[in-house]
Amino acid sequence: MPEVRIIAKNFMDMVASMPTIKLDKLYENGFICEAILRSLPPLAKKYVLQLFHIDGPVPAKLLAEWVLPDGLSKHKVAIDRLVQLGVFVEALDSKNGKTYKVNPTYQRSLQKLLVHGGTLPRESMPSNITVRLPTLEDLETYALEQWECFLLQLISPSHVDKTLNISSSLMKVFQRRLLSQRDREAPKLTESGFQFLLMDTNAQLWYIIREYITNSEERGVDAGDLISFMLELSFHVIGEAYNINTLTEFQRNIIKDLADLGLVKLQQGRKESWFIPTKLATNLSVSMTESSSRKEGFVVVETNFRVYAYSTSKLHCEILRLFSRVEYQLPNLIVGAITKESLYNAFDNGITADQIVSFFRQNAHPRVAQRIPAVPENVTDQIRLWESDLNRVEMTEAYYYDEFPSRDVFEGACDCAREWSGLLWEDSKKMHLVVKSEVHTYVRDFLRRQK
Amino acid sequence: MTTSAPSKNYADDVSLLVVTLDTNPFFWSSFPFHFSEFLSQVLAFLNSILLLGQLNQVVVIATGCNSCSYVYDSASDKNHASTNGTMPAIYSNLLHNLDEFVAKDQQLTTPHHKPGTIPSSLLSGALSMALCYIQRAFRSGPMHPQPRILCLQGSTDGPEQYVAIMNAIFSAQRSVVPVDSCFIGSNNSAFLQQASYITGGIYYRPPQMEGLFQYLSTVFATDLHSREFLRLPKSLGVDFRASCFCHKQTIDMGYVCSVCLSIFCEHHDKCSTCRL
Repeated sequence: MPEVRIIAKNFMDMVASMPTIKLDKLYENGFICEAILRSLPPLAKKYVLQLFHIDGPVPAKLLAEWVLPDGLSKHKVAIDRLVQLGVFVEALDSKNGKTYKVNPTYQRSLQKLLVHGGTLPRESMPSNITVRLPTLEDLETYALEQWECFLLQLISPSHVDKTLNISSSLMKVFQRRLLSQRDREAPKLTESGFQFLLMDTNAQLWYIIREYITNSEERGVDAGDLISFMLELSFHVIGEAYNINTLTEFQRNIIKDLADLGLVKLQQGRKESWFIPTKLATNLSVSMTESSSRKEGFVVVETNFRVYAYSTSKLHCEILRLFSRVEYQLPNLIVGAITKESLYNAFDNGITADQIVSFFRQNAHPRVAQRIPAVPENVTDQIRLWESDLNRVEMTEAYYYDEFPSRDVFEGACDCAREWSGLLWEDSKKMHLVVKSEVHTYVRDFLRRQK
Repeated sequence: MTTSAPSKNYADDVSLLVVTLDTNPFFWSSFPFHFSEFLSQVLAFLNSILLLGQLNQVVVIATGCNSCSYVYDSASDKNHASTNGTMPAIYSNLLHNLDEFVAKDQQLTTPHHKPGTIPSSLLSGALSMALCYIQRAFRSGPMHPQPRILCLQGSTDGPEQYVAIMNAIFSAQRSVVPVDSCFIGSNNSAFLQQASYITGGIYYRPPQMEGLFQYLSTVFATDLHSREFLRLPKSLGVDFRASCFCHKQTIDMGYVCSVCLSIFCEHHDKCSTCRL
């Protein structure tokens, strides 16, 4: 089975991989410090809070004393994360051993934030200028529409009614790992593409943003500035209008791209134009596990393996087609069934049973979501059983040896194979041997030496 | 009574912190540390809780002598609009509401005030209000933050509140809501010790008031998930003495009704609680 999985790590890992000088510059912005704080594991957050008014270094032993023996692994993970992100500065003190101190820039920014509260670099515009501001519900539907349109365009450009303004080169960047194109064939989704579709919106958003940032680095744009602007954006208030004049040229270009993805909505007044952040934008700083974008679920899975999806979106239909047999489509309902063939199809394309089950769970219709379990157990068990059907046979490349001249040579060859841990099967009575292909050369040399 | 199911899809440390703030003017006028300094440390602590997570919530209930009231709720919409650039919204709203509350509380007359003793603050009322808010949070949907209560108390216990406080403690225990207590007064508070012991919270008396923020952030800022891995202050001894139901005085030995377990200091033919 293919082992490839795209893990849309949140941007914290990207930040962690940046050099320390850049990190220091990033930490001058209070919002970035706040976003990073929020993404840390819980124990790490506590440590930052504890140490953040202390100026001098604190011995590591002191911190470790607080932890019970069960929690030592979590403690280590937390400390490693803090040092990796540059929030804690490690030092070796001759008397006390390893000591930790909060990064001074980070400390200063966070203290300022705590005492004065966060002030955005721009204020929302007064309401007499901003007419026709969309309501929060309108904004959310707009964001969702844009995002779905973008996804549809990403995976099957032929199905789209409304094309977006994203340049085709940028689209190609996004499609890089999701689609594979062979000559004279329509682009097909790769395994990563399938997995991408089944992830929830936040994870998808992060994947796209990550690709966008890595691509912009290739184009010469500084990743640090990009990240800090996006984080700043995530702290703006949903639904409030902000003047475009307050953005630099660089930020204006980014805003245009983000508008196509549905993160902001651009509007034009008589003299001025402004942008309104949507829920997708404010979710940028939320860590992967906290997901407040709980949209309404729409899928009901029944114990007779039928799937009813109350949705009109083409994207949902495409996704369901991946692993279930869509039977018919009504004005507000998609009816399908989970069958062995449809699942085998999905497994061939690289989707795992876990992904399918978690897709059903996360998108469960509110009527069934409160039921425990949200998806009937017989369905989940059967999906897993069908998946393991394909795993019954495991294949390894190997070589087969036959017709040994004597038992000693046979035993010698077995031992040799065992030393290299390449022995797969032996039959001592008939003196047949099967070894892994990596080990084949060693066994062959051994046999040659025997002659 | 529903017990709280651990919230499945939330990160482990999303918390709802309900703080009961002791504003008893009789206590604060005789306490060496000034209320405004105390409040500034507490506000910094609350701000840092909100900083730790986008979904963390803080609710502050002011505990006066005669009444209690909600003075701050971080989840309400009013807090989104910042008033002016300098003071963050949490401060201005809270202080404004607190001022109003203290003024109103002063005007209410105390029915049973024994001369010579400091009246205690209405901890039972504050605990009940906190638990009501938490119950509402439980019913708000399939995902909710993990709630806990923090009592910042300085006034001594009023034995007349024994029954109400014990009821509140048991209902907190039933709903799996830990009650932490940070007691700043002189002697230990038996009620708060019992509360923390029974509900699995932390009882702590900070040795130095100047460092209150540090104590708060080290001990009380830990979310419920991390508490399993940390060594937190353990209470040395808990004063389990009850107060009698008829005179509200603390007693060591008394009479207990065999039906409803109410405690009396004198022999009664009929139990006043269950009439049997």
